Amino acid sequence: MNKPGFPPSGVRGLPLSYKKIQPLIISGKNFSKWLGYFGLGIGVLLLLVSMQMFINIQQLLTKDNPRKTGYDFISISKTITNENMGKDNTFTNADLDNLKKLPQVQGIAPLVPNQFRVRATAGDLIPFSTDLFLESINNNFIDTVPPSFTWQPGQTVVPIIFSSDFLEIYNVFAPAQDLPQLSPKTISSVNIVLECSGSNGSQTFKGNIVALSDRINSLLVPETFMKWGNLHFSGDTTVHASRIYIKTKDANDPQLISYLDQQNYHLNKDKIKFSRIKNILQNIVSTLGVFGILVIVLALMLFSFYLQLMIARSKDNLRLLLTLGYSPQWLANSVAKTWLPVYLFIIIAALIITEILHILFLQLSFVSAANLSPVLNWSVWLLAIVLFVLTLFINLKLVKNELSKIE
Amino acid sequence: MQINLQEIVPDYIDKNINESQVWNKNIVIKKTEHVHIVAPSGTGKTSLIHFIYGLRKDYTGSVSYDDINTKKLSTESFSSFRKNKLSIIFQDLRLFENQTARENLEIKRMLDPYHPPEMINEMAKRLGIENKLEQAAKTCSYGEQQRIAIIRSLMQPFDFLLLDEPYSHLDEVNRKKATTLIYEECEKRNAAMIFADLKPIDLLKGEKILML
Repeated sequence: MNKPGFPPSGVRGLPLSYKKIQPLIISGKNFSKWLGYFGLGIGVLLLLVSMQMFINIQQLLTKDNPRKTGYDFISISKTITNENMGKDNTFTNADLDNLKKLPQVQGIAPLVPNQFRVRATAGDLIPFSTDLFLESINNNFIDTVPPSFTWQPGQTVVPIIFSSDFLEIYNVFAPAQDLPQLSPKTISSVNIVLECSGSNGSQTFKGNIVALSDRINSLLVPETFMKWGNLHFSGDTTVHASRIYIKTKDANDPQLISYLDQQNYHLNKDKIKFSRIKNILQNIVSTLGVFGILVIVLALMLFSFYLQLMIARSKDNLRLLLTLGYSPQWLANSVAKTWLPVYLFIIIAALIITEILHILFLQLSFVSAANLSPVLNWSVWLLAIVLFVLTLFINLKLVKNELSKIE
Repeated sequence: MQINLQEIVPDYIDKNINESQVWNKNIVIKKTEHVHIVAPSGTGKTSLIHFIYGLRKDYTGSVSYDDINTKKLSTESFSSFRKNKLSIIFQDLRLFENQTARENLEIKRMLDPYHPPEMINEMAKRLGIENKLEQAAKTCSYGEQQRIAIIRSLMQPFDFLLLDEPYSHLDEVNRKKATTLIYEECEKRNAAMIFADLKPIDLLKGEKILML
């Protein structure tokens, strides 16, 4: 095409500016626009905060949670009532078989008690002497099993896993009894002398506390020692378990609990409280997140109404622009782009508020802040980016859709 | 580029079209050609211009740009033709009423600048509306608006200029000035002109006259 020396190619190559076109798009001071922005902000904030809190709870409650492996371990025993007092309240083989058959039960292990007498003294360090009960259980059911937790016949040192609850109780009463308080670390250095005796004689062992257990309220010795001791001192090899542990995916399973109630089994409710609290908290936070999604959807719907109104208002101008040769694609992109700063602002503001709430959460007394990073989790960042891209995409789609109705 | 009109018959037409030199005929309009379409009002001049520009599709036959049937063109492709191949002066002008005359011209000019911005002043001066440039289009008289529409059509590159009764509200002197300007601009671009009016206009010379 013949052109009179103008314009130099550089000028023609300039991208088309939207600035002069913008006044033709009549946006108006629309209430629904601001409501839409507000709603979007609230929704995004709810979603981001609930995601971060979900992760916080997850991380906090798995750090010192008995449910490390994804299973709950609950202890059950037969409920002692006035009627069955004095009777044999140990679990029979039939009881165990019935429990094993339950679909919710992934494994059971009886706590085997000693059938011989055990007397413990704490050596010279602590002037203390008492009759003891010992128990043993399958190693898979213990939360903390150090490699040293083994015993072979002939070995004079018996490793013991001590209930951390017992340690706590001990530390409460120790000062009144003029006994020293013990930390979890020092307890391993306490020498305990175990005098085991039965109808077949007696023998002295050295007890050594090798670990503390949060899960099992007992003094645990290796199964090999318990078997040997029961046989050696009292000649009894039958298992008389009055307590058993159940390994289950969900200790709060209503069917499992109702079965246990039916059988009159007593269940250590306190141990499952932890997972129950976690479940409740995570359910609350998830609900909050779902609510956030709902609010975002509503806000986008409100926004689409606003967009329709705006485009309907500017219909004549837009039609004329198309008639004059403006590309519909370019118009849609340009119109949609005007919201980019608003969306960016909303997402960044929501991220900042989420970060502030996260920092405040870390200040809470029950939160051990050392376990949690002060920075938002990467998935929250990812979610924010996804939300931003998604909003822009939906917005562009809406604008294109509305524009295409014009011609 | 050339425009082919093949056996176009408007859907709504009810009169005898055998006499027409346009309807139901094959017409080829090439670059540099000047075609003057003459017809009394109400016989479909504006329809024909709109068919060619692609604003209406209620006809049988086909309008093609080279060998592209315009009925098959997307809005997106139309926009690229309107950007630098086809320019138009509408009978009903179609200005942005709330924008100033200059803004109206600039919106068209910047889409594909054929002239520098100063040319707006120069052309406005030649047509006697230079003091109306900063005025909102709706406050200009119809004659002034018509001159804005004429200048707007000359802001872009084009191969074809479609004019639909462009002088209806201009006096003799302004009509002459506008015709001279339009001729100059078409010549610069080697463009064709498709000019629709009520009666043959004496100002035009050597046009191929088609009676609708």
